[in-house]
Amino acid sequence: MNHAEIEERQIAELYLRGKLPPEEAATFEEHYLSCQECLDRLETAESMDRGFKRAAGQDAARVAATRQIALLAWLSRLGRSRQMAVLAMAVLVIAVLPGLLGLREVRERERELAATRSALEQERERSAAGSSRIAEEASEAEKRLRRELEASRSDLERERQARASADEQLADARRPRGNVPILLLDTERGGEEPSQRVSLSGSPGWIVLELEIAPPHRPSYRAILRDPKGSEVWRVDGLELNGRESLSLSLPTTFLAPGDYTVEVDGRRFTFRVLR
Amino acid sequence: MSTYAAPGAEEGEAEIATGLVRRIASGDASAEGELVQRYSRGILYLLRRLAPELADDLHQETFRVVLERLRRRELDEPEGLAGFLRGIARNLVIAERRKSARRRTEADEEELAQAVHPAPGQLSAVLLDEEAETVRHLIRELPTERDRELLLRFYVAEEDKESLCTDLGLDSLHFNRVLFRARQRFRELFLERRKGAVASP
Repeated sequence: MNHAEIEERQIAELYLRGKLPPEEAATFEEHYLSCQECLDRLETAESMDRGFKRAAGQDAARVAATRQIALLAWLSRLGRSRQMAVLAMAVLVIAVLPGLLGLREVRERERELAATRSALEQERERSAAGSSRIAEEASEAEKRLRRELEASRSDLERERQARASADEQLADARRPRGNVPILLLDTERGGEEPSQRVSLSGSPGWIVLELEIAPPHRPSYRAILRDPKGSEVWRVDGLELNGRESLSLSLPTTFLAPGDYTVEVDGRRFTFRVLR
Repeated sequence: MSTYAAPGAEEGEAEIATGLVRRIASGDASAEGELVQRYSRGILYLLRRLAPELADDLHQETFRVVLERLRRRELDEPEGLAGFLRGIARNLVIAERRKSARRRTEADEEELAQAVHPAPGQLSAVLLDEEAETVRHLIRELPTERDRELLLRFYVAEEDKESLCTDLGLDSLHFNRVLFRARQRFRELFLERRKGAVASP
């Protein structure tokens, strides 16, 4: 082994002080397991350090003891009254010092308490400002909700009225009624004014259209009702001829505003005019 | 990483270790004795560094485990015998510490009361005093006044390095060198005294 390096780098001393890197310490341990010279060096260094520490401890103890002896000697040289004065002073110091320290501690705590109170107050102010803002926002939100609620109520009321009206109409429709207008229609050529006219009252009701169908006949027919502008208003399939070789259609009068209407049935045209 | 190896030295250790391992594996009882003799002091020193209170018990246990394993040829690289020994010693310390920790959790008040106080005994105190006296004596024997002052003030009076540097007019690096040389001279005296003590017990 290279003891020159161990000597030069003070490897043993560094090892004893725990200042060698772990890998290097492991290598040194493996080395000294069989190296009497390094073991001597380690034990010597340890012994020296122990001796230094012990001597340092002894010196410190000696200094303390010397001071105590010097104090006692000084006390013994004093007169009785001075000894009592020193003793009283010592008692005073022992009694008062903790009090002074306590007072200092109390003042320190008071300062901390004041600082904490101040911080708490600031926090409260911040909290109050925050609360005011939150209250405003809450008020706005409440107003908005109230408006929305009011609008919803209005919608609901309108809905109720519409439903009541619908129910009324339905009930009215279910009631048996007389004086239902029946319009007998025959095919007409295009361009002519409708020869059939019907006058309808303002109240809702029904109208029956009887469409005369000339042979040849089919098993079923499709009918399309067009308004005065030619737009399809209603369509129905699967119509069958009745015993009079006609097709019957019943319509709510609400379908029919004043004007000329056309019913188309598989190429046949039936026209009529609605009057109010 | 430094290996502290001088040319030929590590090979010498490796050859010796390899020879011992092979002979133990072949049942040579004298090789076991040689192994114990060669590594006993080092293992004891290592164990005292790791666990002073366990060192004496684990010293014998380390060799028992090592020899059993060498007889069973469990060491693949015989030249690494020192590392093998070190590893087993460390593992035994760790295992013993774990056992002690488990036992501590089960110990009752009576066991604790019977535990041996770890403070040094009278003999240790006397030996320490002797070492302290030796140190004082040898410091006084140092030929250089600066060495004496430095060692006394730094190690015995435990003054801090900064104030010593100021008083002695040294910078930090120079202080380290001066202290190192003073320690070297002190160590020579210390070794001479130990040799003398051994020669005339």
